[in-house]
Amino acid sequence: MNSKELKTLVTDWRVATLLILLVLSVIAIYPHIDQGGALASNLQYGLDLQQGSWIQLEFRAEVVGFTTDQPVQAFVSNLSKKLDTEVVVVESTNPNHLEIRKYYSQAELEPVFTSEKGTLTSYQQGVTKSTADTVKRVLENKINTLGTKDAKVNTLTGLNNVARFIRVELAGVDMNQAQEIVGKQGKFEIRIQTTGNQTEHVLSGDAITSVQVPTQEPAGSDNWGVGFTLSESGAEAFRAAAIKYGATADPAKHNLIMLLDNETVYSAPLSNDLAGKIQNENIRQLFASTGSGKYGTQQATNLEIHLRAGALPVDVNIAGSGGVSAPLGEHYKVMAILAGIFALITVGCVIFYRYREPSIVLPMVLINASEVIILLGFISLIRFQMDLPTIAGLIAVLGTGIDQLVIITDEILHEGKVPSPNLYLKRLARALSIIVIAAATVVIAMAPLALMDLSTLKGFALITILGVLVGVIVTRPAYGRIIMQILSK
Amino acid sequence: MGLFNYNIEKYSPKQLVIIPLVILAISLVLIALNMVATGMPVTPGIDFSGGTAVTVITTDTREQITSYFAGYPLTEVSDMNNGKFLKFGLMDDAKYKSLTSLINQKYPDSRIDQIGETFGKALQSQAALALVFSFIGMSIVIFLSFRTFVPAGAVVLSAFADMVMTAATMNIIGIPLSLGTLAALLMLIGYSVDSDILLTNRVLKRQGKLNEKLAGAFHTGIIMTSTTLAAATAMFLVSWFGAVQIIYEISAVLLIGLLFDVINTWLTNVGILKWYVQKGGGK
Repeated sequence: MNSKELKTLVTDWRVATLLILLVLSVIAIYPHIDQGGALASNLQYGLDLQQGSWIQLEFRAEVVGFTTDQPVQAFVSNLSKKLDTEVVVVESTNPNHLEIRKYYSQAELEPVFTSEKGTLTSYQQGVTKSTADTVKRVLENKINTLGTKDAKVNTLTGLNNVARFIRVELAGVDMNQAQEIVGKQGKFEIRIQTTGNQTEHVLSGDAITSVQVPTQEPAGSDNWGVGFTLSESGAEAFRAAAIKYGATADPAKHNLIMLLDNETVYSAPLSNDLAGKIQNENIRQLFASTGSGKYGTQQATNLEIHLRAGALPVDVNIAGSGGVSAPLGEHYKVMAILAGIFALITVGCVIFYRYREPSIVLPMVLINASEVIILLGFISLIRFQMDLPTIAGLIAVLGTGIDQLVIITDEILHEGKVPSPNLYLKRLARALSIIVIAAATVVIAMAPLALMDLSTLKGFALITILGVLVGVIVTRPAYGRIIMQILSK
Repeated sequence: MGLFNYNIEKYSPKQLVIIPLVILAISLVLIALNMVATGMPVTPGIDFSGGTAVTVITTDTREQITSYFAGYPLTEVSDMNNGKFLKFGLMDDAKYKSLTSLINQKYPDSRIDQIGETFGKALQSQAALALVFSFIGMSIVIFLSFRTFVPAGAVVLSAFADMVMTAATMNIIGIPLSLGTLAALLMLIGYSVDSDILLTNRVLKRQGKLNEKLAGAFHTGIIMTSTTLAAATAMFLVSWFGAVQIIYEISAVLLIGLLFDVINTWLTNVGILKWYVQKGGGK
């Protein structure tokens, strides 16, 4: 091939797209030598390729549908008393649903609903998406304070917006540690300002019996905050301290300070109204206001988490857990790379055995390899964590990608003659139509997996679909162009 | 290609489809039996039934391992090269915690996966749905593409036969249904129709004698399957050598599925197509 031919080939848009994507992919993967002198890249590895642990938790709560002829407010508060737990009306799309934050079976709930003059219309174990998000934030918070470098928390939400499971992945942490981190609660404390910067202990986290979700007080005022309830003895201690240090007489000088693991998370004086009330009696129901607007909402959300001190709004069970040790992860990584290279070589051999013509085999294998590089580039870009099933998917893409190159080559070489450009285009179009149908079936076959929350396989399905799309859109047309150039000689 | 000749002319459509149909019937019976025994068409592994799986790379013997974990519900020890795979039944959280400490102490270089029963059950129903939707989706694409009932039906039947035969074989040789093997089965749904589509396309849309078109399609199709087989074999060998169980299982399922795909494409599908064309269809 002379330089002029090469130039027309490279400037063909199909080939140019492939080349540009290849360069971009290599930049995205960014293979380099790190400070330690080892080969490093931007590729992220899942837990089975590096040391790490995962824990899957199941919510001990349920979301139920209901109907009642009673006023909803009263109905809910009666239920809450009977069931001895928080019962929350699910907002937004379906206001006829309740979230019950304690585990009851459907059979246990039905008579309770009936006795309150209501009917249970549906039952699903789990929590609403918003509660699941709170749990997620609590867990992330907890993990962050412990300085774990690489953690992921994912809620697994079903199609109906009810989340039943949540998955925590911790890189570089072994199983026992992971169980401790997830199970561990923070140390919460309320202190009161005495004189100047001096503070005194008032009560600790165990005196808080429940924490509400952020609300506006009064409703609709855009004045956000979090309500919480103290135990009888907690309220007693609170009142005693407030009186002793003079917070009831001069609230402004005696801030109440909340600390989580010895860090201040909230500090504000008693309101004048509350100061007056506390002078006379124990107050169990308190409200910490955090301001207005977006800032106030955000602060309220954080405060809710802090008040819970790492305790989750609902009970959870461990539904699964696992971990891979560092050497085994390293071993898997080596094996995965080995499998990839070995697969490329065997596939190359099969192709060579068939065509026995380096000028056909070489472009095929190179196109095949470039497909994998583009996929890896994309994986790096979206910071997708590669795990063992994903690698198996990538290798399968190798095998099937070359299939389609075979279809193109054979269609074009039909009857062993090199076709005229006109006929060539017709045959290429026919080959591409076969390929598009085949690609569509793979995409459709993988789609349910990509959409469902099986979590660990979601990525695998997405990568497979992506591989097929890259093939159909970029690499096959480019191959068609390249092989024409080669065959026309 | 001179490895073996594909002499399609000699056989009538009936002769072509009889062998795969018998295998399909046997497979269906095996799957039905498995349904009765386990409630699932393929015996569910730990991912779906719950339990604990542990991978260790060790030269310790089975007896030694069994004695270490005498106090725990160890149900199976299998090995692959120098890797040992331990399976435990369901146990409560406290027992599980003590098991993980024991494993960490005995085999610090291990992999542990524990799946609770409820999560396994939830996965099970999602997995079944994924398989069904996947298959239906594939069928719709095929029918939309070919728009004629018999050829499209032949492709779908071949894909169905691939799945059923693969599932039955998994039961016979003891590969459980895990997330990995489920992925492999779904991949098979997508990939096994490759060569069927090529075949149908060549036979219906090209000019020429039927037998020549069939031979031409076989010439291309068998190479396509061989390349995928080659990639799967590479994975199979490396994962066996390195004791990487999940890839071992995925590649084993792919291998089995692709072998059945050869039978189903070049016997079942060809048989039906030949009958269809001889009857005067596709003109």
